[in-house]
Amino acid sequence: MIEFLSQHFSWAQNPVVVARQVLAGISNGMLLFLISAGLSLIFGVLRIINFAHGALFMLGAFVAVSVLSLSPGGGWAYVGALGAATAALAVFGAAVEAGLLRRIYRAPHEFQLLLTFALVFVLGDVAKLLWGREDHSTSVPALLDGSMRALGLTFPSYRLFLIGAGLAVALGLWLVLHRTRWGIFVRAATMDRGMLSALGVNTRLLFTSVFAAGAALAGLGGALAAPIVAVGPGLHVQVIIDAFVVVVIGGMGSVMGALVASLLVGIVNAFGLLAFPGLAVVLTFAVMAVVLVVRPHGLFGVPE
Amino acid sequence: MKPAGRLALGAAALLALPLAISDFWIFIAIEVLAFALYAVSFNVLLGYGGMLSFGHAAFFGVGGYAAAILMKKAGLPPGVAFAALPLVAMAAAAAAAVVVGYFSVRRSGIYFAMLTFAFQMLLYAVALKATGLTGGDDGMTGLKPPGLLAQPLAYYYFALALVAPALYVLFRLVSSPFGYALRALRGNPRRLQYSGVDVRAHQLAAFVITGAFAGLAGGIFALSSGNVFPGWLNWTASATPIVMAVLGGVHSFLGPALGAAVYVVLEVLISGKTEYWPLAMGIIILILVLLMPEGLTGLARRRTA
Amino acid sequence: MILEVQGLAKRFGGLQALDGVDLSVEPGEFRAIIGPNGAGKSTFFNTLTGLLQPDSGRVRFEGRDVTGTPPHLLARLGVGRTFQITSIFHDLTALENVQVALLAHARQVWSLWPKARALHGERAKQLLSLVGLGGALERQAGTLAHGDQKRLELAIALAGEPRLLLLDEPTAGMAAQERLESIRLVHRLAQELGLSCVFTEHDMAVVFAVATRITVMHQGKVLAEGTPAEVRARREVQQVYLGVPA
Repeated sequence: MIEFLSQHFSWAQNPVVVARQVLAGISNGMLLFLISAGLSLIFGVLRIINFAHGALFMLGAFVAVSVLSLSPGGGWAYVGALGAATAALAVFGAAVEAGLLRRIYRAPHEFQLLLTFALVFVLGDVAKLLWGREDHSTSVPALLDGSMRALGLTFPSYRLFLIGAGLAVALGLWLVLHRTRWGIFVRAATMDRGMLSALGVNTRLLFTSVFAAGAALAGLGGALAAPIVAVGPGLHVQVIIDAFVVVVIGGMGSVMGALVASLLVGIVNAFGLLAFPGLAVVLTFAVMAVVLVVRPHGLFGVPE
Repeated sequence: MKPAGRLALGAAALLALPLAISDFWIFIAIEVLAFALYAVSFNVLLGYGGMLSFGHAAFFGVGGYAAAILMKKAGLPPGVAFAALPLVAMAAAAAAAVVVGYFSVRRSGIYFAMLTFAFQMLLYAVALKATGLTGGDDGMTGLKPPGLLAQPLAYYYFALALVAPALYVLFRLVSSPFGYALRALRGNPRRLQYSGVDVRAHQLAAFVITGAFAGLAGGIFALSSGNVFPGWLNWTASATPIVMAVLGGVHSFLGPALGAAVYVVLEVLISGKTEYWPLAMGIIILILVLLMPEGLTGLARRRTA
Repeated sequence: MILEVQGLAKRFGGLQALDGVDLSVEPGEFRAIIGPNGAGKSTFFNTLTGLLQPDSGRVRFEGRDVTGTPPHLLARLGVGRTFQITSIFHDLTALENVQVALLAHARQVWSLWPKARALHGERAKQLLSLVGLGGALERQAGTLAHGDQKRLELAIALAGEPRLLLLDEPTAGMAAQERLESIRLVHRLAQELGLSCVFTEHDMAVVFAVATRITVMHQGKVLAEGTPAEVRARREVQQVYLGVPA
């Protein structure tokens, strides 16, 4: 027993390690939140599981990398990259929804699944064609590079920035969802789609805008992740899985759920990798399965 | 031509085929046989039972790994291991399907699909991490049928001898009272309940049977391709049976088999020319979904109508 | 008593859909349950047949406690049901619809090998003729006219050889004349086959044409019960239905 504890939990005695992992967990959680929030909203309103959401994240990262490599550098270039990624993905998302997804809303579910899978395959290879097979990297902007000291410990500044950015987005999303007409329609759609058209809401526009917003969030997430992640083909396959776990645990359709679950998953992953490196992955899916069996609508979702 | 005539012609073609093509294409033909069984069994669940599983690749993969572990780790003489292969592959896949199915059929629609997906990912993670048993990331390689059966021609007939009866068994299944009830279930589970059928048990049985046959397909393919990888269980693999079934047409029994043949051949031809097979596959799927929802057999039916 | 319900209660969040329903049905009865929309009639059938779990109360069928028994087990005991929104197998032919029900009743759905097409064909045709669908055997059920779909559903229910038949709004969606014909068909079949029937209904003409006894439900409770004449005369019923002042 003592053996087991010392083997897997020895790091717990070291506050620096613990603090570092908590930070890593929370900042990763924020990136996860950006992907999952969009995925959750898209499911809540459009009732589509967007397997291509990871690809949207990846495209955001690639766009950011490209913008940064073309620009002279500095803080403004970085902001430009973030903006470009968000805007590009918003437009792209709208195009995908209007051009492709819209045609199959009434089709059997296997068609919707196949369509998003097709996007995964197509976008993955398109990224390869446009940006090559190698991993790209970009550096953290000078302003955010380095570290800060607090509570007697050092934290990488970029990680703190990510947490700040994530919270800002979460707050912004909350404000939009609770204080704008659009947001009210979105929340209503999550609960009862049928009512919307009865109320005279332009559901077409709503669906397009929701998908575009989800894509924009993913793109922003990708851009924010670009400095700390290997941006290469295959990125879109890895990130989506954690996003699914988050959306299931948090509740499909709930942004609050996505936030809470993202932080949970981020932190548990960070510590899980320390304590049980082999098992962490297995545990993640086991938890996903357990939630689906016991409480399919997750922590904050709407029961069917 | 009458159905019996068409069937006889098809059987004759399948028997004569390997004699007319190169070894390379015989391997492809074996792959088609395995994937045809995989797709048809999947469609019994989807087209007949109305149950869309996102995790059927799990059973194909379990069958493949069971075959590999049997041949390489069970410590049996190759002949004995090989003889037990069909049964072991099916039993392993069926066992996995019982566990996955038991939890999954308690939900329907999207939650059923997500559950099957989660379980497939769980099995993927196990395949990736249980390095001692499964070879981890590297998978298991060097799988070979014993002796003369390692010859592509011989293995082709071996595969045919397994796949053809398996397809026939599945055909009898969908034509049986069980199959009728399954079709009724797809349309109106509540009505079936009120007629005295335990719907959940029925769905579970269908899930396990189709999972077992997918496992058989996986086992057959493992020994023909010579290896098994965790990638067989990765989430992107869950689209494969769906694509094959929809491509061939989910409204006919053998439609998915046709879909499998077209899919495999396309993959071989396109992968041979370019590394961008995923792009091609994605485009094909988009065309299928947006322009050809009835699949190939649906197109053919409309032509003759 | 073929059916005895005591104190059946069911709550949905803030709504007490069933508030202690008592009901007894004798064999051979043709009982109508009437009441305004929202009185709890469909919930009553759903809770009775185990589709919903009752919060409290008892249900006895032929003396046997079947409270909360799931629908498929209750069906095997001899309770049949039709639904307000016609519930049939749309993709199967009319013949196949009844065949499936017969296969289920004969406990053959676990038979994996025999060809189902050849099973119970005669009996299925018989049942379809009984309900007046003898000429529509090979028609796809989804393409049948509304009234014919209801007949098909009746045939499906009869295939289970029920001793008690629960019919939820059996004449819903029909024109007035068709409604009377339809309920008279059910009544005649019930008498021929010795079935007890409980049906919910809105149309009073239909109710008074065939019902042997009437139960009036209101806000989840039984308001009145008795023969048609008795019920018609009750003040509470008049208030609830006709707006007669208290």
